[in-house]
Amino acid sequence: MNRFLPFLLIIAVLAVALGAGWYLKRKAVAPIAALPSANVSASPAAKPSGSIDPGAEPPHALGPPDAPVTLEEFGDFECPPCGLLHPELKMIEREYGSRVRIIFREFPLVPTHSHALAAAHAAEAAGLQGKFWEMHDMLYENQKAWHDAFDVRSIFEGYATRIGLDLERFKRDSTSEIVELRIFLDGKRGHSLDVKGTPTVFLNGREVPFESLAIDKLRALISAALPGTRP
Amino acid sequence: MVARQREAEKASSAATFYAAVALLSLVGLADSIYLTIEHVTGQSVRCTIVAGCSEVLSSPYAAVRGMPLALIGAGAYFTVFSLATLAAFGYRLAGKLLVLVVGVMFLTTLWLLYLQAFVIHHFCQFCLLSAAVTVTLTVIVAMGRGAVARP
Repeated sequence: MNRFLPFLLIIAVLAVALGAGWYLKRKAVAPIAALPSANVSASPAAKPSGSIDPGAEPPHALGPPDAPVTLEEFGDFECPPCGLLHPELKMIEREYGSRVRIIFREFPLVPTHSHALAAAHAAEAAGLQGKFWEMHDMLYENQKAWHDAFDVRSIFEGYATRIGLDLERFKRDSTSEIVELRIFLDGKRGHSLDVKGTPTVFLNGREVPFESLAIDKLRALISAALPGTRP
Repeated sequence: MVARQREAEKASSAATFYAAVALLSLVGLADSIYLTIEHVTGQSVRCTIVAGCSEVLSSPYAAVRGMPLALIGAGAYFTVFSLATLAAFGYRLAGKLLVLVVGVMFLTTLWLLYLQAFVIHHFCQFCLLSAAVTVTLTVIVAMGRGAVARP
């Protein structure tokens, strides 16, 4: 028995290791179960138990409120994967038009990203002048230009000028309570939905697995959720 | 009689030493499996509230010719477990190979710590746990081998 014992131990550990790997992988890539095909409100479906915070009101949204599909992104302007998701969501916006509503929620990862909060402030301040999406696009499209900068304030002021904002008002609004409150409320909503990282996207209230954020998979999920289509 | 008793004591202390190495390698194995899954499922490239791992695991240094480094690490820890188990049951060659494998792992760990500190500029706590396990394994093997080999 002693002769075989070390080999039995080795085989047992190998079996447990492979089993644990298989279980963790399966758990991590669990698909969205029973994706609703019709209009489901963005808020209640994701977490049936416990209360879900509404987030900043009104949210920054593209597309009509009655669109059959709502994509709600929790994003951090300094997060590189969020920057990569940005052109994909622009494509979705162009392709699906009024059938898809895209909502952006602030979820700056502090202190992981040192300028994320300042970027969120800049976007919200632009929003107070009706140009949130212009600043949102500017921040994502120039992410590499500012995320390693020491002082981003002057860079963001440059963006504000380029998109035609009243610069003095932008400077004042960037540090205003309303801007802080909006970021806080979006973050609170994220936490109540158990958002742990960015980008996190909810499709009609159900979290889209991170690996399904690739454009083709996202298209397939949206098409499946549109009325009159079946996966 | 005394020689036989001494022999038995030596075998027992060697078994305890290798058992400690085997148990510690299981901690490294569990950590590497977790990191491998993070890597292959793409979770590592998401920005997370806990800093570091996404930057480290999404860096070009996290894979060697497409093979996740964490998976290679898992293989290394499994090898250490296997060799330590065999050595504990008296396979002498396994004991010698164990020293070699742990030595290579230690040098690799030093290189990975250098990359995290000076190239990627981020530390991943799960990679640091693996580094701590390897350094501890190296210390145990360096100290314990001398004791086991001593007549």
